[in-house]
Amino acid sequence: MATQQFDGGVPFAVAASAQKLQLLELPPDVAALLDAPNPPRLSIKSSAAAANNRPAYAVLCTPNKTFHLRQVQTSNSLFVTHPQLLDSHGNDTPLPATCAIASCPATLELHPSDVSAVAMLHEVLPVYDIVAGDVDATGNGRSKDHIFENLPLSDAQCQAGWNELMAFEHNEDTYIPSVNALSQVWRSINAAALAEGVRLDSQFLTEDIATAVADDGHPSPFTKAVLRHVSNDEQDAEGPWSCLDRARTVAFVGKTLLEAKQGSSDFLIADFTDTWEDRLPEAWRKDAKLSAIEGSYEFPSDTTIRAKSKDAAVANVQDAPVATKPSARKWHEKFAKTRKK
Amino acid sequence: MPTVTLYPPSSTATPPLKTENPLPPLLHTPTGLALLEIQGTIHFPPPSATSTSSRVGKLVFPTYNPNLNGEEDTKWMKRVYLYIGENQRMVGECKRLGRPFAVIRRRGQDEGGDEVMEGGEEGTGTGEGEELEIVEVVRHKIVFSGRPEPVGGGTEES
Repeated sequence: MATQQFDGGVPFAVAASAQKLQLLELPPDVAALLDAPNPPRLSIKSSAAAANNRPAYAVLCTPNKTFHLRQVQTSNSLFVTHPQLLDSHGNDTPLPATCAIASCPATLELHPSDVSAVAMLHEVLPVYDIVAGDVDATGNGRSKDHIFENLPLSDAQCQAGWNELMAFEHNEDTYIPSVNALSQVWRSINAAALAEGVRLDSQFLTEDIATAVADDGHPSPFTKAVLRHVSNDEQDAEGPWSCLDRARTVAFVGKTLLEAKQGSSDFLIADFTDTWEDRLPEAWRKDAKLSAIEGSYEFPSDTTIRAKSKDAAVANVQDAPVATKPSARKWHEKFAKTRKK
Repeated sequence: MPTVTLYPPSSTATPPLKTENPLPPLLHTPTGLALLEIQGTIHFPPPSATSTSSRVGKLVFPTYNPNLNGEEDTKWMKRVYLYIGENQRMVGECKRLGRPFAVIRRRGQDEGGDEVMEGGEEGTGTGEGEELEIVEVVRHKIVFSGRPEPVGGGTEES
């Protein structure tokens, strides 16, 4: 068989009607993913064009990675071919041929995306705040699934950002808690643990604490989000049990306390450490040392302390919607910026 | 802002090719799809009403000889000819792609290419327009990067 075909060459034909096929160049990790026995479904997501002036773009998501899709034009003719039987003139047996069934003037490339899920969630989720004992939050009427579906990021990245922010779903709305709310819910958690006799650094039923904390008016999903955030990594995040990581919890309480004080009058170092100790379970009090939150604080004076200005990324994003919205309509501002460059 | 699902190639659903694949086995894929790139475009007369494709030339793998060199030999990849018509020949080669290409199409639609694709797979027939699937991952391509050179006869090759 081989001799007959290869000596005479393989007839090459072009199909009369082209199919619509796209070519997607696969980076090694995506190719490996597709080679695996049970390749996962991928998804192509697009970001909202309207959100703060960024152009719309599409991304390809694997279960845990995100890639920007970029279309690359080529001046060459790139054909996708398929075997086909070709009737040869005056010959009874049709010849096996290769036939171009599609021509691809552009191919798609994938580029790893480094967009932060935390920053994006900050943009889309309303803040859940507690002011003078009252909840101050405007629901968005969106479920977590809906939020994730509309973020141009993979599910695993969305979930990681979600966990980091301690975002939660409550009564069909989704929120990010403010530091103030975090500070308060932690007080309730600590008090509930004391009242129920629960040791937070050994396994306990998450539901028990969440129910007790709910008496203080904190929604149980919120409490659970916080507990998950400070749990040690051995706990199954979806399971009914929690077991807090002592160092992580101590640092979380200290930082939250410091950040919640931000903007108010100077915080005396001595006051801060006292309050911090009070907010921790009895056995952990001695852990409340500044070394536990290294890098998160600064001293504006000899006796006072404050939280170091937040990560530039998060701060920027929080400011961004405010900063860019007005300029969307003011063209002269937009052009002024480019003129200065 | 919809999310479009991109289905991976189905490992089980690929029926065996009805048409024999005439290319060297290295270029074979389960669905028979392969890639061929040339510089420029191929001009050819429109096909007659009855045929679904126009024969424009032939591919020749001059040093491909599995009987002599064994199936594992890959030196033949260095030289491939594409004859267009009788008098033009392009010299190219088979390349293994550093980054393979996924061939993607809309799921459940075989636009205008049913006959051509009959050896491959059939559309699922569902009306879902916003679903894509990877038909095949192709790891090799035949590239003709040079200009066509005139040759005589065309029926004789090197």
